[in-house]
Amino acid sequence: MIQKEAEKIFETRELNVNMGPQHPATHGVLRLVLDIDGETIVKVTPYVGYLHRGIEKLGESLSYFQALPLTDRMDYVSAMSNNIGYCVAVEKLFGIEVPERAKFIRTIVGEMSRISNHLLWLATHALDIGAMTVFLYCFREREWILDLFEMICGARLTVTYPRVGGVRNDVPQEFLESLWKFTDEFPSRILEYETLIDQNRIWLQRTVGIGVISAEEAVSWGMTGPTLRGSGVPYDIRKHMPYDAYDKVDFEVPIGTAGDTYDRYRCRMLEMRQSNNIIRQCIGKLPPGPVMAEDPKFTLPPKDKMMMITHPTKEVAYFIEEKACKGCGMCMRACPAKAISGEKKKPHKIDQAFCLQCATCFAACKFKSMKIIPGGKGLSEEKLAELAAGPMPEEIAKAAEHLVRQFEFIKKGPKAPEGELYVATEVPKGELGFYFVSDGSGKPFRMRLRAPSFIHAGCLPRLCVGHLVADVIAAIGTIDIVLGECDR
Amino acid sequence: MTVREIVKRFTFIEIFQGMSLTLRRLFSHAVTIQYPKERRHIAPGFRGQHALAKNQAGQAKCVGCGLCATICPSQCIHISRAKGQVDKYEIDILRCIYCGFCVEACPYGAIVLTENYEYSDYKKENIYMKKDRLLSNWDKYMPGKKGEEYFKKFWRPMSDDFGTPTGQAVWRGKKQ
Ligand code: SF4
Ligand code: SF4
Ligand code: SF4
Ligand code: SF4
Repeated sequence: MIQKEAEKIFETRELNVNMGPQHPATHGVLRLVLDIDGETIVKVTPYVGYLHRGIEKLGESLSYFQALPLTDRMDYVSAMSNNIGYCVAVEKLFGIEVPERAKFIRTIVGEMSRISNHLLWLATHALDIGAMTVFLYCFREREWILDLFEMICGARLTVTYPRVGGVRNDVPQEFLESLWKFTDEFPSRILEYETLIDQNRIWLQRTVGIGVISAEEAVSWGMTGPTLRGSGVPYDIRKHMPYDAYDKVDFEVPIGTAGDTYDRYRCRMLEMRQSNNIIRQCIGKLPPGPVMAEDPKFTLPPKDKMMMITHPTKEVAYFIEEKACKGCGMCMRACPAKAISGEKKKPHKIDQAFCLQCATCFAACKFKSMKIIPGGKGLSEEKLAELAAGPMPEEIAKAAEHLVRQFEFIKKGPKAPEGELYVATEVPKGELGFYFVSDGSGKPFRMRLRAPSFIHAGCLPRLCVGHLVADVIAAIGTIDIVLGECDR
Repeated sequence: MTVREIVKRFTFIEIFQGMSLTLRRLFSHAVTIQYPKERRHIAPGFRGQHALAKNQAGQAKCVGCGLCATICPSQCIHISRAKGQVDKYEIDILRCIYCGFCVEACPYGAIVLTENYEYSDYKKENIYMKKDRLLSNWDKYMPGKKGEEYFKKFWRPMSDDFGTPTGQAVWRGKKQ
C-alpha cells in the first residue's frame, strides 16, 4: 500500500544516458547508449565507427607489400600480432614457404606482443575498476618489451617488423640475451600483480559473477580468444590450426569455468605465463638459417647484389644501342627526368645531360636494347657507343637483373594468383581473420578483416544487462577491445 | 565459510600483503626517467625523422628514381627533376607513418631514417622537409661511420637474409 503510494509520488522512469565516445573507460572512442532503471542497466546499445579509417578499402588500393603498415594501425596495442596475421594470410595466398628461423622469430615476437597486450589490458582494466597501483607495475614490464621491439626494428609500437616471406632483419645477440633475462624475471612480476589484486576483496566484489556468459552462448555470440576461453571453451587457433612455429612448442590453453569477469582475468594471467614459456622454448630452439624466403614471387632482391650498379662510385651511364632499339617508347614514358626522346618505331636516344642515372628506363625496356656502362658518366656519345658494343660484363648483367626486379616489384607490386581465401590467426584479443579475394592483379580485389574487437563490442549488451552501471566499465574491460581494430 | 576464509575476512591479510609490496617498492630505485633532462637510450636503426644520404664527396646519393615515392603507403614523398638534377625532394613528415619502406625500396641507399624524434614546431612549414634540410640531417645525425653502419644493418634485405651468415645470433645457454 505504502509502496504504491510512494510510486505515485516519486514517479520513476527509465533514463537514457550516453556513455562515451569520450569516456576514459571505453578504451578509445566507443559510444554506449544506456537505458537505466535506477542503477540497473536495462538496455545497452554500442555505437562504433568513430575511429573508422577505411583500412579494408585502403588495402584494396595498395599492393600486397604496401598494405602491411595498415595492419599496425588496427590493434595498435599488439601491432606485431596483426602484422604476423597479415603476413601468414598473404603467404598462403602466394604459396610462399617461410624459413624455419623466421618462423621461430615470428613466434617469439608474437608472444611478446601477447604479453604486452595483456599487460596493457590488465593495467587499464584494473585502473577502470579502481586498482591504481597495478597500472604502473604493468607498464614497467611493458616498457621492457617495447624496448626489445625497438632493438630489432627501430619502432616501439607500430613495428612493421614481419614481412611476407619472413622478417625484416635478423635478431641481434643482445636481443636474445635481454629477452631471456626478461623471461627469467617475468613470472615473479606476474606474482607481484597477483599479490596486488588477485585476492583483493574489492577486486573480487567487482569481478566475480559479473558479466557471466555460458560456453554455448559465448560460442554463438562469436567470442574468441581469452574472452571465450574464460567460459571454458578450449579453442585456440595456435593449437587447432597451428601457423608459424606453434606446432613445435609445448603450451597449454588455460580455460576458466564460470565465464565471469574474474575467470577471464585468470585466463589472461595464465596465458601470460604460457607465452613466457613459449618464448623460452623458442629461444632455446632458434635454428640458424635464413630469415627471408628467396622467392622471386614476392621478396625484394638483396641490396648488395645491386651494388655493382647502384654504388655511388660506379658512376654508370645508360645508353640505348641503336641497332637493338625497336622504338617502342616504353623507356621514354618511364623516364622520370624526360631525358629520352625519339619517334615511334625509330631508335630512341638518351640526352646524357638530363639523365639522372636512375635505371628506370633500363627496367622498362623489354627488348634488352639498353646498356649499362660503369664509369661512363660524363663521356661523349661516341665513346659510349664504342663501350656499349658487345655484351655487358657478366657481373653487371647479374646486378642489372636484380635491379630490374626491384623496379618491377615496387612499381607494379607482386602479382597474386587468382582465388579467395580466409586465414585466421590467434591475436591476443581473439581470432583475427583476413579474407582476400584476388583477381590476379597486384592488389586485392577485396580485403576483409574479421576483427575480434568488433565482435566483442557487439556482445556488450549481453554482458551488461541486469548489472549495475559501474559494471559496464568492468564489462568493457573484460572483453579487451581496442577501437582502432573495431572500427578499422 | 571455512575458518581460513573467516580469518582472511577479518584480518585484511590480502590488503596488507599488497600494501607491503608497494611499501617495499618505495625503497627500490625508480624505473621512470625525467624526460627533458634525462633521455632514454635510442636503439640504432630507430625509425625517426628522415635524412638523405651523402656520398664520400658530400653529394646527395639520391638519383631521383622515385621508387621511394611509389612504395610510400601514405604518398608523402614528392620529387621533381630538372636538367639532370633532383631539384625537389620533399617529405610531408606530418603524413609519414615511419614504416621505413622508403629505405627498403631505395636501390641506391640514398635515404635513411634517423633517431631524431623531437621536432615539434609551431609552424607547419618548418616540419615540411625540404631537400637541404634532409641533407643537413645526414651530417647531423649520421656523422662519420654511423651512416655506413646503418646501411649495413638496416638496409634490407641483403644476401645474408637469404642465407646463413656467420655469427648469427643463437641461444648459447645461460651464462654462469
Ligand atoms: S624501351 Fe627499349 S626498345 Fe623501346 S624505345 Fe626504349 S630502348 Fe628502344
Ligand atoms: S637512367 Fe633514368 S633519367 Fe636517365 S634516361 Fe633512364 S630513366 Fe631517364
Ligand atoms: S628511391 Fe632512393 S634514389 Fe630513388 S628517389 Fe627515392 S631516395 Fe632517391
Ligand atoms: S617511412 Fe613510410 S610513410 Fe614515411 S616517407 Fe618512408 S615510405 Fe613514406
